[in-house]
This record gives sequence, structure tokens and C-alpha cells, in this order.
Amino acid sequence: MPDTQALVMTFLTSLKNATARQTAELLRSVISQQRVPYTNQAGALIDAVKAVGEQLIAANPVELAVGNIVRRVLHIIREEDLSLTTAAIGELNLSAVSDDENDDDRDGNTTLSAAAVAAAARSTLRPPSLQTLLEDTPVSAAVPQTSSSGGDSEGKTADKSSRSRKLKHDVIEAVNELIQDIVTCHEQIAEQAVEHIHQNEVILTLGSSRTVSEFLFAAKEKKRSFRVFVAEGAPRYQGHLLAKELVARGLQTTLITDSAVFAMISRVNMVIVGAHAVMANGGVIAPVGMNLVALAAQKHAVPFVVLAGSHKLCPLYPHNPEVLLNELRSPSELLDFGEFSDCMDFGSGSGSPLLHVVNPAFDYVPPKLVSLFITDAGGHNPSYMYRLIADYYSADDLVVQRRAIAGN
Amino acid sequence: MSMSAYYQTRAAHHGVVTSDWLAQSQEAATRAVVTGGQEIVDGGKSGRAFSVIDEFNNWRKQPDLAEAVAAIRALAAVIRNSEAKTMMELEIELKKASDSLKSWDTTSISLTAGCDLFMRYVTRTSALEYEDFNSARSRLIERAEKFGEISYKARKIIAMLSQDFIFDGCTILVHGFSRVVMEVLKMAAQNKKLFRVLCTEGRPDRSGLRLANELAKLDVPVKLLIDSAVAYTMDEVDMVFVGADGVVESGGIINMMGTYQIALVAHSMNKPVYVAAESYKFARLYPLDQKDMGPALRPIDFGVPIPSKVEVETSARDYTPPQYLTLLFTDLGVLTPSVVSDELIQLYL
Repeated sequence: MPDTQALVMTFLTSLKNATARQTAELLRSVISQQRVPYTNQAGALIDAVKAVGEQLIAANPVELAVGNIVRRVLHIIREEDLSLTTAAIGELNLSAVSDDENDDDRDGNTTLSAAAVAAAARSTLRPPSLQTLLEDTPVSAAVPQTSSSGGDSEGKTADKSSRSRKLKHDVIEAVNELIQDIVTCHEQIAEQAVEHIHQNEVILTLGSSRTVSEFLFAAKEKKRSFRVFVAEGAPRYQGHLLAKELVARGLQTTLITDSAVFAMISRVNMVIVGAHAVMANGGVIAPVGMNLVALAAQKHAVPFVVLAGSHKLCPLYPHNPEVLLNELRSPSELLDFGEFSDCMDFGSGSGSPLLHVVNPAFDYVPPKLVSLFITDAGGHNPSYMYRLIADYYSADDLVVQRRAIAGN
Repeated sequence: MSMSAYYQTRAAHHGVVTSDWLAQSQEAATRAVVTGGQEIVDGGKSGRAFSVIDEFNNWRKQPDLAEAVAAIRALAAVIRNSEAKTMMELEIELKKASDSLKSWDTTSISLTAGCDLFMRYVTRTSALEYEDFNSARSRLIERAEKFGEISYKARKIIAMLSQDFIFDGCTILVHGFSRVVMEVLKMAAQNKKLFRVLCTEGRPDRSGLRLANELAKLDVPVKLLIDSAVAYTMDEVDMVFVGADGVVESGGIINMMGTYQIALVAHSMNKPVYVAAESYKFARLYPLDQKDMGPALRPIDFGVPIPSKVEVETSARDYTPPQYLTLLFTDLGVLTPSVVSDELIQLYL
């Protein structure tokens, strides 16, 4: 573990530039270096990942992608363990039938309970639903117990050790696939560009997002001719960079200020923007100014399309979006200290200056303003986000905490 | 005028009773017994006194028990008293009992949903796991008894899920007496959250008065409003919390009369409307407008005699369409209204 701890520490210090990919790679090294005990290997892996994940999330709670990847990896571990266990129980079933005459301890209920446990295990992985409401809720520890009891009988030990190696191997393979998905999400989203951008359209965007630029380039490659309005995205003015890139690719671009969005929106056919995170209710955490664009688009009935890779999908709800999920950045982006140093002087008078500068980094766009989400899994309604969340995340992982600490 | 037994029971549990109302309901009850007596015959073999409807009524009288739990306990009693020897026979008996329960009180959505849920569970379990009839039967009875615990746990889960949404210093508007919402507020008070509750009176039951009583016992600041004062105070409100008598397929809810009104006002002023409902209240209904459901009528006591020429709107419930609801807190998790139809499809198709 000391090696992983050092890795985690260096990662935490560089968390400002943390991306989903780096988190996934870090967790992959944590998993590969983790020693797993003979029984309940999945539990050990989950605990290890949760321990590291807790530190990562606490270090920078605004960077939601980190928490998303931690939860994805936890879900992967549970899934792989489940598929291995059901395969093992299948073998157990066959061998139990033949052992029945020899083994007195094993009563006739074994085959029955194994099938029941498998069915129950399947249901514990799926989020709770109406179908399973009346059924027993077995503890997930029941699943590894069956496998360990299976390990006690003769002739199974060889299978057990190969299965223990297999779990780690499967998990690492799945995490590699996850990393691959994260890296290629831009291409997968850009492939859908042609369906949405038509000839002679006017597109509006705000700030600069790599997903959006790849999306627009892909449409340009397919010989669609369209124009782009870029709102500059104060105070970081990243729209300037995007405008330059678009012109380099031969797209007709118009640069406007954020305040001019309402004036120009009636001339626009579609708004395409990127997102920092997508919440469970379909709301979007986006760079500041996005809510203004969304409201303008709704007023003039312009489709508001959000591009987001699936690693940006967060299973949490934005209870108080302005407070909890925002980052207040340095006022120097807005004001020049030289000119305003007397207004913002903390040393003079009462110690509290009359001029406060608030520079939030993010905005919350409610789901009713979003027309379409384009993810690497296709285009979806905001009300469909819960399905993707059920696919990618387990309900147990919403609060990433070590079980010893969690009082439940 | 046919009374809705469901809303009678609710009023008896949570409402403030006036003598006039008491007289009317007693008269209605004696009428119901006369008609109900004819139903008993088909429930079982000749000479048996067991009636699933009586059983259900016994359970329903307990104020802390949810409707669906009472229904499922009644069906469990059917299984216990049944003389069937095969699963098929048992299922047919259960189907008959469930149908008679549903037709006895057509206005109770939890009753219908609970019966349907149990019937689905029976059909699925019998096919899957048990060769032996007796063990299957005892398992069904055991699960049905456990359902009471499930329902109780469901309320706890819902209360836990909604804690994050109640922040310090918030003002919550509640309508009607919902035991689930009561649990939510109780847990928030126990977690030392500072919040204020605005409580509508909830005519004609005046169940809001009872809710205000309970909240005052918990030292939660409560303010009572008459039903018409909701729009007037909506400015100070941060969120609206309601329970549900039933959650329909579109994601909308059926709840005590006045809920739709409050949701409309909240929506027009951009306040979130949160619904706390257990998952067994999901029903396969799709009302297209307010009158699309079967009528559920309640006597209304105005305190003064009303001339017989004057009609009175006595419906006890209304339908709130999903676009006015923000989130549903259920024991399946925090859901947006569009998830409801997904869950129902998974269960029934």
C-alpha cells in the first residue's frame, strides 16, 4: 500500500488539472497493487477503491468527474464479481448434484439456495425496483460466503485460486475499457454531428469546449456549410481561442460578447454547448453564462443541445447548485489589482472592504431548458438520464465512504 | 351519493371529526355493510365465515398501517385459510379475493396497486423456485407478513433520501396529512435542521390541523393557512412537500383535493414540488384530465344547512400532472416523474 499512497499524494497535489482519465489510471494502479485475500476479494477491492476515492473526492469536490470515475470503478468491480460468481455457482450446481450422495453436510437445499442466491445476487446489483419489492434483500456478503463454502469441498481449490486472479484481471480489463471510452468520447460524439447540423445553419456556442470543436469539425468534414456564433465567455474569454480554431478550419465565425446573446439569438438555428457535469435530474453544470444562453434559447424556441461524455454523468442531485457545486475563482480575472487596490484593501478601516468581487466558475442550467443531450451513448432526453445512471453506477456507491465509518 | 370508503378511513384517522360528519358516515357505513354482506358468499366454500373484505377492514382500521399493507395482509389470510392443493388453485382463489377487494372499494389506489403487486409476486414466485407446494405457500405467507416491515422501512428510506433537500432556514409548505411526509419532517427535526413549516388546513377533513399538532409536539415552527392563502404565501416558500394516494403511469400523482392547485401555484412561481410516496403506490392508471378517474366522494360539512337545490362538489381527490412535479422520493430512490412508467413497464410487461 505505501506505493499507492505515494501515487495518491502526488495525484492530490496536482488535482487542479485532474481529469477523468487520470483518476481512472490511478485507480487502475491501486487495484493492481492491492493484495486480495482468499475470500471476499471483491469486498477488499471495493474497500481499497473507496478509501482512495474518499480522499480524491474530498480534495476537490467541485471536480465531479473524479467522483464519477470512482463510482464507475466500484460498479465495475461489483459487476465483474457478480458475473464470475454466477459462473462459479453454475459449476457449483453441477458438481453439487454429483456430490449429494457422498456429502452428508450438503442437504438438498444447496442447489435450491444456490439458484435463489444467484437470483438474489442479480437483483442486488440492479437498483431496487417494483419487481423485487416483496423479495428478501440478502446482504451482498451472502454471495461470497457461498463461494467460500464451495471452496471448502475437495477439488475446488484449483478453481478458486484461478478465480481470484481472474477477478483482478477482469476488473483491470474493464477499467482499461473505461479509460479507452474516456479518451475516445470526443470521436464518438463527433460521429453524430452530421445528424444534427444541417446545411446553411447558424450555430451558437459559448466559451470553448473540446467536445464542441470536434463536433463542429466533424460536420465540416462531411461538407456541411454552416456558420458559428461564438460568445466569448467572460471572464476567461476562451471563446476567442475557439474562434481562432474554427477559422483555421475554414468555418465562418462571428465573435460576440455574452451580453449580446439575447440580441443575436433570434438569428440562430441551434445552440450547441459543452458541460462540466450532468446531474441525475438532467440539469447541467456548465461554465458561467450558460444559464443566460439557455434562457435566451428557450425564449426564442431554439434547440439547446448539450454535448457530454458519459464520464461527466453524475448520480447526484443538485440540491443547492449555486452553493455546493460552484467554484469561486480569483477576482484578478475581473479586475486589475493596480487600479482597485484601495477599494479592496483589507488593511484599512473596519478591515472589510466595500468592494467585493465574486467570480463563480459555473452555472446551473435546469433540465427543462435542455432539449437534447448528446453523449457517446447516443442522443437522449434530459428525463432519460436516470437510465444511464442505473447502467453505469450502483446505488450503494452514491456516498463513497468506507463501511467502517458509515453508521448504517 | 356513494361514499368513498378510502377517504372515509383517512378522515377517520387524520381528520377533525364533527358531529354532523359522524352521523353521515355512520349512516353510510350501515349501508355498506348491507351491500357488503352479499359479497361474502363467493369468497369461500359454503359454511365458512371467512371474508377477505372483513379481514381487510380490520387491518385498515389501524391508523399507522398503509392501505397496501392491509390489502396484502388480507390476501395472506386468504392463503392461510385456503384449502387449495396446487399453486394454480391457490392463484385462482387469490385472484378472486383480490378482485372482490378491488371492486369493494374502487376509489383506493393503494389497495388496487397493492393487490396487483402481490398477485404479480405470486405468479412469478410460483413459477421460479419451489417444487414443493407447502414450502411455496409458507414462503408467500411469510413475505406477505413481512410486507408490513417493508412498508415501514420504505418510509424510513424516503425520509433519509429527502434529508439532503431540506436545508437550514428553509420554509416548507405541506398539504394534507401524509404519514410519509410526517416521517420526513420528523427525521429532519431529529437531525436538528432549522426549518419552518406552512401547513394548509385541508378542508373538509381539516387534516392540516392534526399535522400542525404533531409538528408542534416536535418543536417545529408551524404556521397554519386556510387553503385559499396558498398563493398569498407562496413567495416565502422554498419547497412544497406532499404525499400521494397514488402515483400514476404518467408520473403524476393523485392526492387529496387541493394538491393540483398548490402545484400550479408553485410551478408558476418556480418553487419545487416534491412528492414522497412509497413504490407500491405506483398504479397502472393514466388519467387524461381531472374527471378521468372514478369518482371518490366525501361528505362536506359546511356548518350551516345548504338548500337542496345547490350542488356541492364532493370529490375528495385531484390529479396533478407530471409537469408540475419536480421530484418523487420513493424507496426505489429519488426519481424524476418519467421514471415511474419505466418501473411499471418493468413490472407488468
